[in-house]
Amino acid sequence: MVSVPASGTTTFTRSIEDAARAGRRVGTTLVGPAVLVVIAVNILPAFFGFYSSLRKIFFFGDEGFAGLDNFRALFADPVTWEAIGRSLIFTFGALALAVPLALLAALAVRELGARGRILLTILLVPWAMSPIVVALLWKWILLPSPGGLFASILATFGMPPANLLSNPTWAMPTVIAVAVWRTFAFAAIILTAGLGQIPKDLYKAAAVDGLTAVERFSRITVPLLAPSILIVLSMLTISYFNEVQVIIGLTSGGPIRSTTTLAYQLYLTGFVELDQGRGNAIAVVMFLINLVLIVGYVQLLGNKKGGEA
Amino acid sequence: MNQSMRLSGRAALLAASAIASVVVLGPIIWALSTSLKSDNHIFAVPPRLIPDEPTLMHFQRLIAEGVQWSFLNSAFYTVVSVAFAVAVGGTAGYALVRYPVPAKRALLVLFMGVMSIPSYALLLPTQVIFVRLGIFDTRLALPILYAAHVIPFAVWMTRAHFATVPRELEQAALVDGYSRFEAVWKVIIPGARPALIAASAFGFLYAWNDYITATTMVEAPDLRTLPVALIFFQGFHGRDWGALMAGVVIATLPPVVLFLVYRRYLIGGFSEGSVKG
Repeated sequence: MVSVPASGTTTFTRSIEDAARAGRRVGTTLVGPAVLVVIAVNILPAFFGFYSSLRKIFFFGDEGFAGLDNFRALFADPVTWEAIGRSLIFTFGALALAVPLALLAALAVRELGARGRILLTILLVPWAMSPIVVALLWKWILLPSPGGLFASILATFGMPPANLLSNPTWAMPTVIAVAVWRTFAFAAIILTAGLGQIPKDLYKAAAVDGLTAVERFSRITVPLLAPSILIVLSMLTISYFNEVQVIIGLTSGGPIRSTTTLAYQLYLTGFVELDQGRGNAIAVVMFLINLVLIVGYVQLLGNKKGGEA
Repeated sequence: MNQSMRLSGRAALLAASAIASVVVLGPIIWALSTSLKSDNHIFAVPPRLIPDEPTLMHFQRLIAEGVQWSFLNSAFYTVVSVAFAVAVGGTAGYALVRYPVPAKRALLVLFMGVMSIPSYALLLPTQVIFVRLGIFDTRLALPILYAAHVIPFAVWMTRAHFATVPRELEQAALVDGYSRFEAVWKVIIPGARPALIAASAFGFLYAWNDYITATTMVEAPDLRTLPVALIFFQGFHGRDWGALMAGVVIATLPPVVLFLVYRRYLIGGFSEGSVKG
């Protein structure tokens, strides 16, 4: 660099550079601990899990490199495909129930004003509960004997007690219903916020134009709420696809595997059967499916927002 | 006529809301009712909502089994992990707003990406790593994992909020002769209070309510968390529904009270995050 006589300008420039360097140093120091913890506890195990999925590991004994054998065995096994199918049934069954309920709740919350906030608070109470505790609670309610609350309700309609959780046909719908009971109001929060963003004037103008309530809903509410609905769909899809605690607590994957989703299969293979090589292979598959879901939704959300802006 | 239609519509809405509230709260109230009934009243036909002779015998039975130690374990793991996660995550969130951190975008993507990994999918490799490091089945295992999972949340939430605290406020404090530390402590942290509360409350719900991490990372009975202890209790005393519902009540009370007290911040945290994208 050309030597310039010491002047006010260069000192000034240098002090700005020094300040910027100092700022970067302080910033790095402050962000550092968070980054270190996240890398050490989240990222490294992810890589180690991927590495383990390529090895034969059973009962903590590493028996060597296996290449893609774990994955081959996984996809050759019809049990895996059944589990993927059940994950999809669980996820989309729960979505089909939760999203309309959340939308109804959000509309009611808006209509009810101050009382609506109380309603939302009530509906959200199960969301603050532990999934495993929710499972215990519903096991007691669904107990198929006199004294069980559900059995007593059936009895007042003259019906015999039904053992929903040990019935291969009813176990899955029951597990779905309990998962929805715990979580649907969470979606209602986001939809309520989305409804709050729609200008009230639009509804007034529509009323002046003589639009019916149904038309106002389909022409104003639904299109303007679409971004919030997409957010709800994406968050719930991922959360239902990965749900495992409610299933562990209610049915342990049974009866006759009827509630064994891929998430439960991972728990079963890795922690119960202790086939850690294959368990990690399932984890890799789960991770890839999650990634596809997230990228897909980000695309949808991104396009939506870009189109409107 | 329009008026009366409006009124009947409103009545229908209130009725539907009442039914929804009963479906949602009913099971929880039923658990509370069961936990207060004596053994011979629990299976009464038809079931009664109000216990005839309320008793605390089930809670006493849980205490005789030592469940209070699991409660304290859960409390310890939760408080330690939340305090650590909010301190570390909040600091990072602040730095990302106020300082020229290198690779800022990459770091934000890192925190976001980590949130999208299902935590239980990492438990198998984590178990092996923790066994080798000697952390498996110790009091350290769960706070580390809970904190690591809450930190990205805390970063994102506090970052959004620190951005809304005016820089001028901070500078004014410095001009007034506060040290950097005092400015942070007296001006910035109070300004970001809603985000810190929301992040803490999320962390609390996550750590207190977890079962799967706790059941796979801790084996010693005296290190167990409350949800794990309840599942073990169920395994040994499968039909003791009175005690199990007492356990449900004990496990549910802290998060629900916390939610009711801080619902404004929790609901705000979620809805703001979604609307602002």
